[in-house]
Amino acid sequence: MKRELTFLLALWKANLLAAMEYRASFISQVIGMMLNNAFYFVFWWVFFDRFEQIRGWELKDMFLMFGVVAAAFGAGVFLFGNALLLADVIAGGRLDYYLSLPRPVLIHTLASRSQASGMGDFLYGVLSFLIAGQYSLDSIARFVIGVVFATTVFISFFVLVQSLAFWTGNASMLAQQAQNAIITFAIYPITLFDGTAKFLLFTVVPAAFIGAIPAEFIRAFTWGNLVLLVGAASGFLTLSVFVFHRGLRRYESGSAIQVQL
Amino acid sequence: MLRTVTRSTAKYTAIFRTQLLNSLAYPADLFSRSLTMVLFMWIFLNLWRVTYNAVGSEIEGLSLGETMWYLMVAETIVLSRPRLSRNVADAVKEGSIAYLLNKPYHFLLYQASIAFGDSLLRMVANALAGGLVVWWTVGPPPSPVGLPFVLVAMTLAWLIDFCINALIGLLAFLVEDVSAFEWIYSKFVLVLGGVLIPLDFFPAWLKSFALALPFAASTYGPARLFVDASFVRFLDLLWKQGFWLLVLGGALAYFYHRTEKWLSINGG
Repeated sequence: MKRELTFLLALWKANLLAAMEYRASFISQVIGMMLNNAFYFVFWWVFFDRFEQIRGWELKDMFLMFGVVAAAFGAGVFLFGNALLLADVIAGGRLDYYLSLPRPVLIHTLASRSQASGMGDFLYGVLSFLIAGQYSLDSIARFVIGVVFATTVFISFFVLVQSLAFWTGNASMLAQQAQNAIITFAIYPITLFDGTAKFLLFTVVPAAFIGAIPAEFIRAFTWGNLVLLVGAASGFLTLSVFVFHRGLRRYESGSAIQVQL
Repeated sequence: MLRTVTRSTAKYTAIFRTQLLNSLAYPADLFSRSLTMVLFMWIFLNLWRVTYNAVGSEIEGLSLGETMWYLMVAETIVLSRPRLSRNVADAVKEGSIAYLLNKPYHFLLYQASIAFGDSLLRMVANALAGGLVVWWTVGPPPSPVGLPFVLVAMTLAWLIDFCINALIGLLAFLVEDVSAFEWIYSKFVLVLGGVLIPLDFFPAWLKSFALALPFAASTYGPARLFVDASFVRFLDLLWKQGFWLLVLGGALAYFYHRTEKWLSINGG
């Protein structure tokens, strides 16, 4: 376990150093993404300025939820950038490189790429959390815990959907739709949805465990929400690892020569 | 001269037709992109249904049905646009623009033909998918009498977006990465263009500011015309779109000419 953690830290360091080689591009992506998120949030500011609350949700609740979602997504794609491209890696036969090395294939594949804009999402998420006004130490601790579990659910969901490429050959389009779905649902208040829709958001598209539940947990500690977060994160993580390794048995080499820099 | 114009038009029509046929070759791709439209319409329906239940049957003169049809048209316009700025920026960064410049067609008109070929089918597919969802949930669309005006407005809106996207793409001559500009532009369109929430619901000062910008002319204007098709509104939108086309088209022509000259001086 310690060896794998050391390996992971080395990968992240290499990714960061590679990003720093093109410092201007890195900084522009980080700042650009922060501005991107800020401009998007103007929509919620306009909405709540006009309508004040929607089924108990107010603007400060949106700051909190957006903070968790942005920080979790940003941390996820910055640390495990290939989670968004796993289907292409599988379909293109590029797993060969990772299979030939004495390291866990999934972790190595996911962490061998970093998306620079993820840092912008993460920093904006932290800023949004601070604007929500939760300054106490225990709120900050719950934010960190919430983001960790939300990141786990995010990445696990991406791995699950992208691993369908082992069976379908090309899952890029489906993966893109799934990605749109989970992010879009995660940034809207869960109270908007009833019945079947709400059930879907806790199961098939687990957006509730990325936005609403962590936000509620940060607002006020409850054992129920903590159990939900831990259960969802460990459940989806286990399922994604299982599905990936089952799919790996079906994997066929693409025989392409791959240069890994 | 007429023969030259006819030949030129035929050239770009052929490029447009080829791209259109290319889009038809992948119907699954087209279908899956329309799923995004269905997703957004469903989320908007949930949001605005709850809002209207709390507030009343009309907000700023718009009923729930009109708001949903407005959002459908606005989303159709936005989701049908190709990633033109990325294509132009990649051509600049890779240097392939120099290779394309000595071809017997104008680089920007070539990109416009390709982009329009891409957009047309997507627009139809998105409108069908979104329209079905909205019709099924809130009822039929407003009167089709204004549809010809809306189609003219949507075409001009597309041209405004093309100019802005091409300008962003050509920024690759100055900056290494245009991603940040792409993201910010898309958010300007979503918020200040009234795609996520009609500009009518904005505070008065912000509404006035947003209406003065080109984003309102390229999304809010055509979508609002769809739910309230009056000749006066159409004329008002027409002159705004005409103004922005002149300004942005002029800026694009000038900037493109400068970059073309710069490329030629540096040996391509």
